[in-house]
Amino acid sequence: MAIRRQSAKLDVFTKIAIAVLVLILSVLIVIPVGNVLYKSFQPGGIEVLRNVYDNDYTRQIIYNTVWLGISVGAIGTAIGFLLAYIQVRVNFRGKKLLHILSLLPLVSPPFAFATAVIVLFGRAGIISNGIFDKQPMIYGYKGLILVLSISYFPVAYMNLLGMLRSLDPAVDEAARSLGASKFKIFITVTIPLLIPGIAASFLLLFVEAIADLANPLVIGGDYTVLASRAYIAISGEYNIAGGAAYSTILLIPALLVFIIQRYWSQRADVVTVTGKPSGQIEYIRTPLARYSLLAMAWSIVAFVILIYSMVIMGSFFKVLKVDYSLTLDNYRYIFSGVGNSAILTTTMLALLATPIAGVLGMMLAWVIVRKIKRGGQVLDFFGMLGLALPGTVLGIGYAFTFNSPIQIFGITILPQLAGGGAILGGAMAIVMVYVIRSSPAGQRSGIANLQQIDPSIDEASASLGASGGRTFRKISLPLIRGAFLTGLMFAFARSMTTLSPIIFITTPDTPILTSLILAEADTVRYGNAFAFCTLLIAIVLVTMGLINLLVNKTQQAGYQPIAVSAG
Amino acid sequence: MKNKSGQLTLSNITKVFGNGSEKVVAVDNFNLTIEPGEFVTLLGPSGCGKTTTLRIIAGFETPTSGEITLDKKDLKNLTADKRPMGMVFQSYALFPHMSVFDNVAYGLRVQHLSKEIISQKVAEVLETMSLSHLATRAPNQLSGGQQQRVALARAMVVQPKVLLFDEPLSNLDAKLRAQMRIEIRRIQQKLGITSVFVTHDQDEAMSLSDRIVVMRNAVVEQSGTPDEIYRRPNSVFVADFIGRSNFFKVDKVSSGKGDKVKVLVNNEELEVAAHPLAHKSKTPVLLVRPESIQVKAATVKKSDGIVSNVVFYGNHVEYSVTTSYGEITAIESDPIYDQIVKPGNHAILEFDPSRTWLLPSSGEIIREE
Repeated sequence: MAIRRQSAKLDVFTKIAIAVLVLILSVLIVIPVGNVLYKSFQPGGIEVLRNVYDNDYTRQIIYNTVWLGISVGAIGTAIGFLLAYIQVRVNFRGKKLLHILSLLPLVSPPFAFATAVIVLFGRAGIISNGIFDKQPMIYGYKGLILVLSISYFPVAYMNLLGMLRSLDPAVDEAARSLGASKFKIFITVTIPLLIPGIAASFLLLFVEAIADLANPLVIGGDYTVLASRAYIAISGEYNIAGGAAYSTILLIPALLVFIIQRYWSQRADVVTVTGKPSGQIEYIRTPLARYSLLAMAWSIVAFVILIYSMVIMGSFFKVLKVDYSLTLDNYRYIFSGVGNSAILTTTMLALLATPIAGVLGMMLAWVIVRKIKRGGQVLDFFGMLGLALPGTVLGIGYAFTFNSPIQIFGITILPQLAGGGAILGGAMAIVMVYVIRSSPAGQRSGIANLQQIDPSIDEASASLGASGGRTFRKISLPLIRGAFLTGLMFAFARSMTTLSPIIFITTPDTPILTSLILAEADTVRYGNAFAFCTLLIAIVLVTMGLINLLVNKTQQAGYQPIAVSAG
Repeated sequence: MKNKSGQLTLSNITKVFGNGSEKVVAVDNFNLTIEPGEFVTLLGPSGCGKTTTLRIIAGFETPTSGEITLDKKDLKNLTADKRPMGMVFQSYALFPHMSVFDNVAYGLRVQHLSKEIISQKVAEVLETMSLSHLATRAPNQLSGGQQQRVALARAMVVQPKVLLFDEPLSNLDAKLRAQMRIEIRRIQQKLGITSVFVTHDQDEAMSLSDRIVVMRNAVVEQSGTPDEIYRRPNSVFVADFIGRSNFFKVDKVSSGKGDKVKVLVNNEELEVAAHPLAHKSKTPVLLVRPESIQVKAATVKKSDGIVSNVVFYGNHVEYSVTTSYGEITAIESDPIYDQIVKPGNHAILEFDPSRTWLLPSSGEIIREE
């Protein structure tokens, strides 16, 4: 039937769930962001906003930010597309290896890359000076696009890989039988079908790039962007309203992209890819095309490997660029004192936040897809905002909002959650940041998965007398369990490696690894920074491996979900 | 053992989707009372509102206005899970992560019955549906017909007062469909559960139902027994939708006794049964089903028309005859091959006036009030 909408009465469980979700989103995202907007119009901030019109320096910063976003969006998407296309359309040995290496940058603290690139290619760099004897301009725009493109291309890769895989080969076959050459098919069929995916990847990378704080601080040099400017305003100039104002300016392109992307993906649903592939994918066999594609792909991942090796090796060198004798001093340093507790605290908080974020994301997905007709869009919007917003904005918002108790009519609703003297040493606020930053991943994969499951399955459960809560627990959740756990995996990696929102709310009582690494890198103690990074990568990889094991196990134990849809 | 409860009443049910310019009236002032144990089919082309009506009964849609009661109890404030109804979905909607046994047991577990009772009840219903040997299988290891039976078993095992079927047979092949029709009817009659069945397949409707409700464009076109719907349709639409039809132009109507009227068709006066409002119609038509018409070879002088096409099916033969009053279809069962009139030959058409039905022509739809 054409008309099929959820418009039945909501049961008690669903009503309570919606109320709780609205409350959580209000506290975790709406109020903090609202606060940033409010503060940026206070004295100190309003001047900054005015400068957008008449101050060349401020305008240069905005231009820098946008240009960086566009560059990284284009280059990162191109790399992601190349790797995804090879993965699907070229047959070669080591395919799986290339896949894993293509995903590797996902599990790194981004400034590990920046630091490694500096050590390799910067002033007195191992390669630039040691081999080529040159002083290249690695600081600034060039260094930034290099580091950011390498850091974020896996996002585009995953996006496009999924789309390429689900393209119906029959479409290619149809074009072929109509006489089109492979190149012609690529230009007239493949690319147009992937335009929504390419655009989505570009926009995702654009936002990641303009929101990034760690890399501009480490390798940005004179190339100031909004995120680093906001950080400097707050931590260097103590101009809180000014920092808020820079964040607000940063918020505009980020939000704009987010909205465009939502509009796009909603329209893209109709045209793009469908159901099960019906034909056989034809691999690229022309030697020239094959080898040049493979050469490009392997060089890119070779560069990734080089950087990773630098990080790991660097952690064992005594003093980089000076004394290359092997030592465990760096590790001795980080396992003593503050480093030790940071490792523990960060891991614990991330582990705590991950399941919360997972359940929050899945609940949101379930309510949005299955339960509400109007308002679902709004809920979805605010749910995804945690990821769409630049971390700087979020961090500053949290600092404003939770650095003092929240009171309504003189009654304390929430005690002080962030900053020095907060309850639990400010750990609460950090967990909250992790949750709101990670839950969108769960929400997105939950929505995608739920949309593939026939709504009749939920209805069948209801018609057998099951309440909304029971249906969620026994039917919906088990069916999206795989996606759920995968979501958790990335949520954890994200929490462990996030810096920009944390940096504004971390306290001496709850030291966080990423901010310690920044401190080491900032003071040119690269060995220590590399040791921290190596350890962080190890923790993330081990945990992801464990979660992966869990996913495989549950999928073997349970029945494989089948694709079910109304005929 | 027949259930005495399960009387379902829908009064003035209207459902409007969207608002403003995008407003779609899916169901318009729907009225129906279904007696306990009755099997009612909602029949109509896609988009006629039949599925929406079913979903309103199930509680998946809230009617814009109107009332729905079960055994005189208002259902308005009962969500789907609180209504004593079982539903069989078009896609079966089996829980893909549960075995056949767990699927069927689901509704019983919701009721917190003891393990022993659940096993016993599930075993019983699986036995009835000849599914016992499949209890541990996953849904995707079953054939379409088996999945269908599991869906039915799952809906029945909770002993609902009303069983709802949303085009449950449309994903099966023709042979299996015919088989499942018989099975559904048999089980429904045995248990005496009130049933509402949605379909666009007239064969299903005819073979399953105590009563058929024909819907079109959100309104009820006609409601009646299969025989009434087939032999005494309210409108050209119903006549056309159920079975195949020939409509003869009627030149003159003179009212007769009772429900019989005299009509002039092709200069021949016939006494035929008529719809009560047919004589009020400006251009009434005479419905003659193809199987009521005999085709006989004829000479040019006595001819009614020329046979334009003949299709031989073995068990019956289908003629198309071009006449002065249009293209007429006739079906003769158990034909003798040598006596079939060949295309291009003249033929006369004969039918028994008592097997015809006079009704208002299209554009003058007369609704049941």
